[in-house]
Amino acid sequence: MKNVIDRIKSLFGPSREDGGALSIKTVFRNFKEVLESNNRALEIIADMGDKLGGDYLFDINYIKSAYSELAGTVSNSLQNFDALTADKYLKLHEVSQRIDSQIKRLIYDVTPSRGVMVLSFKDITWNMFRDVGGKSAALAEMTNYLKLNIPEGFAITTSAYDEFVGHNLLRERIDSLRKSPAVEDRLLKELSDLIMSGTVPHDLDNAIGSAVEKIRETFGRGCFLAVRSSAEEEDGEHSFAGQFETVLNVPLDEKAIKDAYKKVLASLFSPNAVAYQTALGYRVGDIKMAAGCIVMVDAAKSGVIYTIAPNGDREIMVINSTWGLGVPVVEGQTDADMFMVKKEIEPELLGTRSGTKEYMVVRLEGGGVERVVTPEGMAGVPSLNAEEVSELARQAVYIEKHFRRPLDIEWAIDKSGRVFILQARSLLGMDSARRDTARRERTPESRPVLMKDKGIVVQKGAGGGRVFLLRHPGEIDGFPKGSVLVSKYDSSNFVRIMPYVSAIITDVGAPTSHMASLCREFRVPTVVNTGDATRIFEHGQEITLTVDEEGATAYDGIVNELLENEEKNSMRMEKLYEYRKRRYVLRYISMLNLVDPMLDNFSPEGCRTMHDILRFMHEKAVVELVANAGHGGEILKKHAAVKLDLPIPAGIVAIDIGGGLETGPGEGKAVFDQISCIPLRAVVRGMMHAGVWHADAVALKVGDFFSSMMRMPDLTADRSEYVGYNVAVVSGEYLNLSIRFGYHFTVLDCYCGENARNNHVYFRFIGGATDMVKRSRRVEFISSVLKEFGFTVTTKGDLLTGRLANVNRDGMEGVLDQLGRLLAFTRQLDAVLNDDASVERFVKNFIDGKYTI
Amino acid sequence: MSANRIMVIDDEKIVGDMAKLSLEQEGYAVETFLSAEPALERLKEEKFDVVVTDLKMKGIDGMEVLRIVKKLYPETKVIMITAFANLDAAIEALRGDVHDFFPKPVKIKELKASIQRALN
Repeated sequence: MKNVIDRIKSLFGPSREDGGALSIKTVFRNFKEVLESNNRALEIIADMGDKLGGDYLFDINYIKSAYSELAGTVSNSLQNFDALTADKYLKLHEVSQRIDSQIKRLIYDVTPSRGVMVLSFKDITWNMFRDVGGKSAALAEMTNYLKLNIPEGFAITTSAYDEFVGHNLLRERIDSLRKSPAVEDRLLKELSDLIMSGTVPHDLDNAIGSAVEKIRETFGRGCFLAVRSSAEEEDGEHSFAGQFETVLNVPLDEKAIKDAYKKVLASLFSPNAVAYQTALGYRVGDIKMAAGCIVMVDAAKSGVIYTIAPNGDREIMVINSTWGLGVPVVEGQTDADMFMVKKEIEPELLGTRSGTKEYMVVRLEGGGVERVVTPEGMAGVPSLNAEEVSELARQAVYIEKHFRRPLDIEWAIDKSGRVFILQARSLLGMDSARRDTARRERTPESRPVLMKDKGIVVQKGAGGGRVFLLRHPGEIDGFPKGSVLVSKYDSSNFVRIMPYVSAIITDVGAPTSHMASLCREFRVPTVVNTGDATRIFEHGQEITLTVDEEGATAYDGIVNELLENEEKNSMRMEKLYEYRKRRYVLRYISMLNLVDPMLDNFSPEGCRTMHDILRFMHEKAVVELVANAGHGGEILKKHAAVKLDLPIPAGIVAIDIGGGLETGPGEGKAVFDQISCIPLRAVVRGMMHAGVWHADAVALKVGDFFSSMMRMPDLTADRSEYVGYNVAVVSGEYLNLSIRFGYHFTVLDCYCGENARNNHVYFRFIGGATDMVKRSRRVEFISSVLKEFGFTVTTKGDLLTGRLANVNRDGMEGVLDQLGRLLAFTRQLDAVLNDDASVERFVKNFIDGKYTI
Repeated sequence: MSANRIMVIDDEKIVGDMAKLSLEQEGYAVETFLSAEPALERLKEEKFDVVVTDLKMKGIDGMEVLRIVKKLYPETKVIMITAFANLDAAIEALRGDVHDFFPKPVKIKELKASIQRALN
């Protein structure tokens, strides 16, 4: 029996072992301070997102001062959080310092200290663009942030280039070429020869050696590398496509790698490359060469994706594909397969053209590549199946959305079917080829307006698509790409659909919620707090939403003009390198990676941004509060308790920690009107709602009773005055209610104030009495009802937990009133839940406000 | 009629870049400078309708730019942009012959409206 008691106690949260238990008032004060600092921090983050969103001229001073305020606020929050959690998460400090130093590196433009010559991809951030070159920076971005499958590798930096040039006494020669008005090919050839015969400086040699060793440890000796050019300006404003050297299939041998590296360096001075640079206004030596050394993919097929059609149609992408390595496709030397795919919505194959692919390029066993005749039976056969086309298209949409411009993406699929992205660079020269769409749509004025200037603006813009009306959080998995999400509440779980959602509209919500940050990050046109969007729109209906300063306006149908205007505006600033570089700091500030508290990465170590830290603290602060408030016995001893004198026999004793009751000193009782705690008032109001409190207990069958006796030990063995009472710890906005009705324990932890972002409800239910089947039916009943109110629910046996957050005060009071009814209504429910169908029936009745059993 | 000419002077590249991109969208001819000295050289060659300048810059500052511009072309309008911290100086500038001033970050829409007013 003792084990059972321990188990149940443990469900009510761990007790403080240090003996010096904090008073609930102190705990609550710390909790509130964490929330207040977090709010301030989220406001700063929202402001930064706004100011850096393209609508403002800003300078680095703004970023510096906004960030310094943010850092101060987060650090203040951390201190209170430590006090609240008794230093349980000290690791968070370390993580926050690391993020802070990354941010400062970006703001103060600290690049790798001089002499860093080799960098692993995972250590590369955006401001190292100039150090590792455009190609490697983009690859690092895709592996570190997009978490795409990119072959491992390392970059040899421009500092290494400087060292090499200095070490081999080439500087003077380059300078003289730089000064001469016309560069002779002969002199360039001499320079290339000197580079090829040059020696790699000792430090660089060591750095390459240890990077190679790491690759060897991970992939074994049989691994080969591709050594690719990654010049400073490459893949940036100008593509330099095909101008510089790439050496494929280099064995993991230091000499071979160094030779390949020298070949890449020398290609900077090839006559063609110099002509190209001159044409763009660069002089010889203006551009420095970095290199990327990337593990070769054992490619079964490879190719290139253009994320817009050659005629400029942005809705269509083109995938070219061939057998073996991608060289022939990149160089346009083979009749490759071509797949035209409609993007945005679940990729749709529009057309296929199967090429002859008469020859292919394959890897040679000892290194290098070879051009061979494509074996019969492969040549005329399409190299991709429908599934592979879809997968490539999905990844391409994701990447394009991230870099926010048309891209040219190189990819490969290895022999086990894994997709790798090898490169992504701007697709230049297609921007101007805008689609000449005839004005086939009517002007917005003539369109039926479904909603006008409503809600709180989170992210301006325009988006169109079919309405996906979200009824339960779980339905998000079935969200069709390109749709418009309409939901009662907002949720950070929407992160999963961010790259694919056209616009988001919610009934309630705040512009500083976690979801709101995500929307700004992904530039998803979003409006919250519209009040009744879920009633205005119908599931499946096509709409166009525009969000501007006045709020959101929705038109019936797809209005192409609005969408096209939008496309132009949002793309504009992204073209500016300086802008992208400055805005990049938000990746360490406002991105949200910790979404689901149930996942393993929900830990201090999982935090990668300031926003993650705030999210983590918020979640754990609530947990800590629930755990502390759960010590009913502790609290009763220390605080004066007041019995609630209600028209229903709910047996609630309230402990006021500040502003929760309007009782005079020494008054041992409070009537309903004396309850000033917002959430408790709402819950009690619900309990008193006509018809939900059934005075006549439903008779338990003998078996039911016996079964409940086995499970429910006498938890109230400590015979005090309050035995059998339900305990509510209250303040003006806070309620922690431990309630036992019949044979069921419920903990309701709730904060409900004016600021939606602070508001949360945590609902925990442990079933008791009756047999297991009926218990699980009750859990199912409660779970269905909670989901109906927008809760995220998890169940484990007969333990159910539900969470709801970020709902405004009115919404919260409504939900709490319903929870009050639910608590009262379910007191005896499982005794009558005789079959599965009855669960459904009671759920429906409850939602419809019918409370008869 | 040729496009109205706008000059933007700010020692941070991003300010000029963003201003140029947004103002060109409105049909203006925009030139940007990272410091006052070359900007003033350019002004000697050619007249601009509106000069948008940062207040605090190394070397010649915004106030000096205002004085010189007004001496060269009394009808050219000057819009001053400045960090919040330099608000007092900006107000002083307002007393002079400045058309408008904005604390940074500057809402692009408002800057556009101000330029529009300056040209009318």
